[in-house]
Amino acid sequence: MNNQDMRNQLVQLGNGAHALALQMLGNTDDATDAVQDAFVKVLNKPDAYDANTGPLAPWFLRVVRNHCIDMIRRRRPENAETLEPSDPGPGPEDSLEGAQRDQLLKRSLAKLSVEQRQIIVLRDYMDLSYAEIADVLEIAGGTVMSRLHRARMALKEELSNHG
Amino acid sequence: MVNGSRNIDDHVGELLSGYVDGELTQQQRQLVSLHCENCDECSEILARLRELRQSVGKAHLSELGEDKWRESMNDNTVKTTRQIGWLIFIAGLLAVGGIGIVGFLFSDEIEIGMKLIIIAVYGGLATLFFSVLRQRLIERKTDKYKDVEI
Repeated sequence: MNNQDMRNQLVQLGNGAHALALQMLGNTDDATDAVQDAFVKVLNKPDAYDANTGPLAPWFLRVVRNHCIDMIRRRRPENAETLEPSDPGPGPEDSLEGAQRDQLLKRSLAKLSVEQRQIIVLRDYMDLSYAEIADVLEIAGGTVMSRLHRARMALKEELSNHG
Repeated sequence: MVNGSRNIDDHVGELLSGYVDGELTQQQRQLVSLHCENCDECSEILARLRELRQSVGKAHLSELGEDKWRESMNDNTVKTTRQIGWLIFIAGLLAVGGIGIVGFLFSDEIEIGMKLIIIAVYGGLATLFFSVLRQRLIERKTDKYKDVEI
């Protein structure tokens, strides 16, 4: 993969990676920094990615996730699981109903554990396959379905509590 | 994963998520379909999981957009090349300055007294320069209003 192709793919992954980092770090600015740092890391060593081992998305998301874990370790542990309420909402072009739905979803997601948030973002927001999710989270492929189901059931519960 | 000996009357649990995601085998898919036909509870959960997946997929969990990422990538390239440029420039400047200082110190044409006076003048100027520079750098780092446009 040449450098320009990699850049184009990374740009497309930016928002998904940011959503994942946001669920882990709970802060938009930190999440932006995490994704930018991951870009720098990957673009400085593009050879670290071997296209024969699979698509770029799970590999890059693993880089982002590992960087987020490093950031969490460096800062005070009590900040690690809380999502900031000032997370930017949808733009003016979005309907009020859509904006309310998004806010409700964000509030409900914030009640879940970091692991549950991650797996929901990877599957339902980024549309990764179970094998890719296992790759990103570095877990056994056979456990993805059960973890995801538990996370979805927890989110369903939170949504009905809020709604 | 679920073993093949599951009874059709048992609730299918996590298989519902696998069903929604299209990650089941043919046999598992049939099991879920048949079970949901006769189980209102699982059928309802299945419908809710589909809705949930759709609403998360459509949600705005990140608002930054591709332009922001493209911009930040270019910023990083510009930053790196600028840093390399500065590094080369400073290295060159230090080399030229070093050669000049060595030439001056070991020159036989200038008397030792004169050398000391010149060293004192330039040494004093350099100390003043670095003192002001240090102060400015500290101010720049701690100034809360540096980004305010007037």
